[in-house]
Amino acid sequence: MAKSRNLSRRSVLRGAGATLTLPFLEIMSGRGQAAKLAAKPPIRTAFFYIPNGVVQRSWHPHDEGKGYTLSPTLKPLAPVREKCTLFTNLDRIKVAGTDGHAQAGACWLSSAAPDELSPAGYPLKTTIDQIIAAEAGKHTAFRSLELSCNPYEDNRESVYFDNISWYGHGHVARSLRDPQRVFDRLFSVKEHAAHRSVLDVVLNDAKSLDRELGRGDQEKLDEYLESVRTVERQIERVTKRQAEFDKLELAPPTKPWQAMARDEFIQVMGDLMILALRTDLTRVASIMSSPERWGTPLMVHGLFDKPIQHHGMTHGQGNENVRQDLERLDRFHVEQFSRLVAKMDAVEDGDGTTLLDNSMFLLGSGLSDAALHICTDLPVVIAGGAGGAITPDRHLKSPAGTPIANLWRSMAKVMGVKRNRIGDSTGMVSLS
Amino acid sequence: MWIRFPNCDRFGAGELSVPLPPPFSPLRSAPKASSKPSRQKQIPRSLALSFRASFTNELIAGKITGVKHRIFLCMIAMAFPAGADYHSVRGRLPAVVSDGIIEGEWLPFGKDARSQDMKVFGGGWSGDAHLLWHGEPGHAMETQFSVKRGGRYSLSLKMTKAIDYGVFTIRVNGRELRKGVDLFGHKVEPTELIKLGEMELAAGEQQLRCELTGKNPGAKAFQRNRYLLGIDYLKVMELDPPPEPEKVLPPAVDTPDAPHTATFEFLQPLLAEHCYRCHGEKGKIKGKVDLLRLKSKDDFLAQPELLRQLNDVLEFREMPPEDETQPDENEYSKLASMFSGYLGEHLQKEQSLPPIVMRRMNRYEYNNAVRDLLQLKGDIYPLPEKTIRAYRAYYDPASGSLPDSIHLGNRALGKNQIEQPLLTGVVPFAIDLQSEHGFNNRGDELGFSPILMESFLNLSRSVVESPEFDRYSARTGTLFRAGGDRAKWSATARERLAPFLERAFRKPIESATLERYARLFDREAERGDFSAAMKTTVAAILASPRFLYLLERKQDEEKPLAPYELAGRLSFFLWSSIPDEQLLAAARDGTLADQEIYSMQVARMLLDRRSKSLSENFARQWLRLDRLITAVPDFERFEPYYARIGCEQWKLGLQTMVEPLLLFESIMVEDRSIMLLVDSNYSYRTSDMSSWYAPGVPFKGKANPNRFNTMGVVYQRVPVNNRREGGVITCAATLTMNSSPLRTTPITRGAWVAGVIFNKPPPPPPDNIPEIEVDDAKIEASGQTLRQRLIAHQVNQSCVACHQKIDPLGFALENFDAVGRWRDKYPSGLPIDSSGQLFGREKFDDAVGLKDAILANPKWFMRAFSEHLLSYALGRELELADKPAVDDILREVLDARGQFSVVVGAIAKSYPFLHRSNALESE
Repeated sequence: MAKSRNLSRRSVLRGAGATLTLPFLEIMSGRGQAAKLAAKPPIRTAFFYIPNGVVQRSWHPHDEGKGYTLSPTLKPLAPVREKCTLFTNLDRIKVAGTDGHAQAGACWLSSAAPDELSPAGYPLKTTIDQIIAAEAGKHTAFRSLELSCNPYEDNRESVYFDNISWYGHGHVARSLRDPQRVFDRLFSVKEHAAHRSVLDVVLNDAKSLDRELGRGDQEKLDEYLESVRTVERQIERVTKRQAEFDKLELAPPTKPWQAMARDEFIQVMGDLMILALRTDLTRVASIMSSPERWGTPLMVHGLFDKPIQHHGMTHGQGNENVRQDLERLDRFHVEQFSRLVAKMDAVEDGDGTTLLDNSMFLLGSGLSDAALHICTDLPVVIAGGAGGAITPDRHLKSPAGTPIANLWRSMAKVMGVKRNRIGDSTGMVSLS
Repeated sequence: MWIRFPNCDRFGAGELSVPLPPPFSPLRSAPKASSKPSRQKQIPRSLALSFRASFTNELIAGKITGVKHRIFLCMIAMAFPAGADYHSVRGRLPAVVSDGIIEGEWLPFGKDARSQDMKVFGGGWSGDAHLLWHGEPGHAMETQFSVKRGGRYSLSLKMTKAIDYGVFTIRVNGRELRKGVDLFGHKVEPTELIKLGEMELAAGEQQLRCELTGKNPGAKAFQRNRYLLGIDYLKVMELDPPPEPEKVLPPAVDTPDAPHTATFEFLQPLLAEHCYRCHGEKGKIKGKVDLLRLKSKDDFLAQPELLRQLNDVLEFREMPPEDETQPDENEYSKLASMFSGYLGEHLQKEQSLPPIVMRRMNRYEYNNAVRDLLQLKGDIYPLPEKTIRAYRAYYDPASGSLPDSIHLGNRALGKNQIEQPLLTGVVPFAIDLQSEHGFNNRGDELGFSPILMESFLNLSRSVVESPEFDRYSARTGTLFRAGGDRAKWSATARERLAPFLERAFRKPIESATLERYARLFDREAERGDFSAAMKTTVAAILASPRFLYLLERKQDEEKPLAPYELAGRLSFFLWSSIPDEQLLAAARDGTLADQEIYSMQVARMLLDRRSKSLSENFARQWLRLDRLITAVPDFERFEPYYARIGCEQWKLGLQTMVEPLLLFESIMVEDRSIMLLVDSNYSYRTSDMSSWYAPGVPFKGKANPNRFNTMGVVYQRVPVNNRREGGVITCAATLTMNSSPLRTTPITRGAWVAGVIFNKPPPPPPDNIPEIEVDDAKIEASGQTLRQRLIAHQVNQSCVACHQKIDPLGFALENFDAVGRWRDKYPSGLPIDSSGQLFGREKFDDAVGLKDAILANPKWFMRAFSEHLLSYALGRELELADKPAVDDILREVLDARGQFSVVVGAIAKSYPFLHRSNALESE
């Protein structure tokens, strides 16, 4: 078990740490008109990705339904188990002949059908978080927030290993990995206003380009145009909340991420995510606790006294010692998740509910058994009640062969997005 | 051995320089005599290939010999002891030529003959070898050679003499050309060139016959009544060759003279014998390749991708699998030339360029472009991409030599160091990740997002508004300072913005575009501050898609790029930046379309310091060097890897990272051969690194906690006297980064060699990877070596097929431990087996043997390197349609023996680089 590093975390996120105790109404007083009118707090969706699957024998509980027994790896969920739901037997599409790990991360949330392959050969299309964000983002300053606790300073792997969120085919929603930048992006309002005049000009310039470009290039230009429009909206909406943020007296995290221990990095990013969700700056977020594969040795302080290679270990789990180490690492990730869940549950969100009650915070991986790159029976836990849509504290075992896209459909529906089909979905997973 | 080099003979061996202006060669010169083999001095207007003899005794003693230009190749056998410039003369090519030199050892031969290595006899033989034959008087040695064209030829032979050699009559096609050729001599040495005379030859195969007629009275028999014959090489020179024909579309293969006359029907029995059993018969279709179904040439032509596969498989001897009966060389080459002929035919008909998606500048390019546009003194933000941070500028191609001693800041080598911002408030955006097997400049992977838009908005504003900017930019006076009175501001701004926009957007500027930005200036200027208004305007220009993307106008057919677009491609290729005024001027007046002027621009740009981007941006990514940054050799087992005792932060490894890059830069600056990347006889090292490569304990006597200065280090150019070192394959950096903490990882190393050196990256590993212990000590405790363990784990045929190709490349490096230090045995005392076979063809015993095998087949590496660089230049993956272009490039590169400027020049004038695909067809 990792040592608690609360002290150093607090020093890093000084201001942010303090706000966690602010009562709901004070923070939310400036929330948009629509939200004020709505009787209920909004529902938020967030994803917590763990790379390289989990050791199977210690993940699966032996029983189902309400009051199931937490498996060894799920033990760290004990303090919050009443608000968590375990899903099993959910499968993902896999395309043979392309990299198993690139697909695991990049295609995890994808809405592509098995016959829809991106140029890189992966079943990769708009991811479920972005499908939801297209709707939920109408009400918030930021459409969505993508974070990665990627600690590696080499560039060993491609873009497919470091991102789980995609706007569409070949159009990545690049994740941020520097907490200071995340903070600035969310709260440095005054920077934004100066950009207005520039944005107008470049938008017109970009539009005038359109006729010069071939079709492939036009798609690229659309990425640019869409980004400009999004930023314009952000500026407008963030500016409106300027006074509110000033009151919060937030201070940016100052410790460089390169100097943070694993758990510290994940918790700081998680805190920023929670801050964004509770201030209603966004309703959709995702965090990669670590990028997919990336065979670079990594120090996990407090857990191992030497750098480990997570990916390499998954292929060595036939050795009992390696497997036990891997199980400790899996528990470490669940523990990090569980701590964030507890923090969300400590945030009041109106109507006597907590932020967690009004969220779906999903833990998962794109592989189940990484030793064999297996994509069936993926690990999935959803923390939160989704405003009552989920009846938690259960282990829901779907019939064998159920696509995970069925769960994406169910979550989209909770978020007010109706889709008859997402990817290879065949129906919906019952949440209540 | 000789690289076939027809030109040589025309100039005559032994001449020192040739006043020949190769189209793509920056000015280079011959080496001057100096105590260092590395020094070169520029001699204007003489174009010469820099080369350096290796570790011959002469050199070590300080004597230096040198020649200019490519003619060197032809004379090396005479001017040098053979093997002097070992990696330049090791190139082997099939002896199918029409005009030039045919190595004796490559002539076809029968019974009683073999090729013999002549190095032990003191050198002097071309390629260190000859063809040796023995027989009794009355016997004859028969062999064949081919000429491409019919015509009148002059023939001569270079032979060997010694005490047991005979007297011969030489006939060609039955005609006696010379008799009484007495090869007797007291010493074993090459003869003078023996002129056989002139004769008419018809195109095609010719017979050469050497009849043993007797012996010199002084000669001793080699065996009872048997005497020897040695042929070093045969020289075939066409007299009065017809004028060069109009250049036609080149064949798609890199053996241009190989005939592909054999018909499919003629060769089908070979397929039946060697292929059908697994690929078609009885429903067995391995690898989804069904050859039985393809019954005619047209069937094959309909399957270009399969043709490409077949070409590869034959080129690299991948099929039939090793345990099956193999076709003989002759059959191999007939099959290969038939299929490459088919592929060439397909490509000529169907060739259509893949589209280049308009690409956004990456972080490195953005920095350079802003720097050059605003004429800044340096970078706008710290770039970890720049592995090397120089204390003093050392990279200057115009000087013709990379300094012997280079002082670098070591702090910058560690990305962990918090770097000081250069311009206050300027924050870079995140690095763009490399493509799986490519670079981070590919349009399809360089996306745009709101986060990036925010970054570009912040960046462009924070650069011009940073407090240091006015002192940092040379445009402060000419662009930003208020000109004249208020009434003239608007006109002044327009005057200044027009050329500025042309440079920023790399396009002629339409009035609408100018007005768009000028009006922004007018609006901002209402506040009464010219400079501030101009800064806002410039900030907007820097955030425009016309600045941020490499834009090329759509067109309805495949045609040459417009001059401005070509200028942009070229500057991003060679400088990772926007064109400068000179290049832009050539685009503006259209002269860039002139081939000669274009070539001069390429040469000029390579001589510019900005070409360092080829090292910083291309070489670093090509070698995947970033991996070293996070390599973590086990702290206890590889304690000397760490520069400061007890501190994991400080690694020697970050010093080794510079070594391959400085080698690369020396090749660029001195315009050497890219083959030095495989095997070089010099390197750049710090004194601490030298101890790393030396036998014994590194840092001996440095038991103090700080083993070396971590602030600044000096890299010295040092001769590399052991061939197991030198080049990028066996340098400590790449060996370490491709290892895991507790042992080497031969498969990772092998995959790296396959991808980087041969551009044949292995397919992604299968799902069922068996596990191997992470610590070799544990493996060895069981009495097995890592190699034995890995082989034992290849559980089925599908594993074996792939690993046969990758693993030998990694096992060859097993003598280097997980931090790249040499070891004769494993720590447990178990022997190291580093032998293997390269592409089922070249057997080798160790890492040096692997290098030799690569040098012996230089086109493999030259092709791979050219492909990597072309893909980088284009910003896209290469496809089948690029093959003819790559073949063209390869031909030039082979001809120039890998001279760097020729590689770059050939790419810059290659078809895909000069052309834009049809936008409509590409959809």
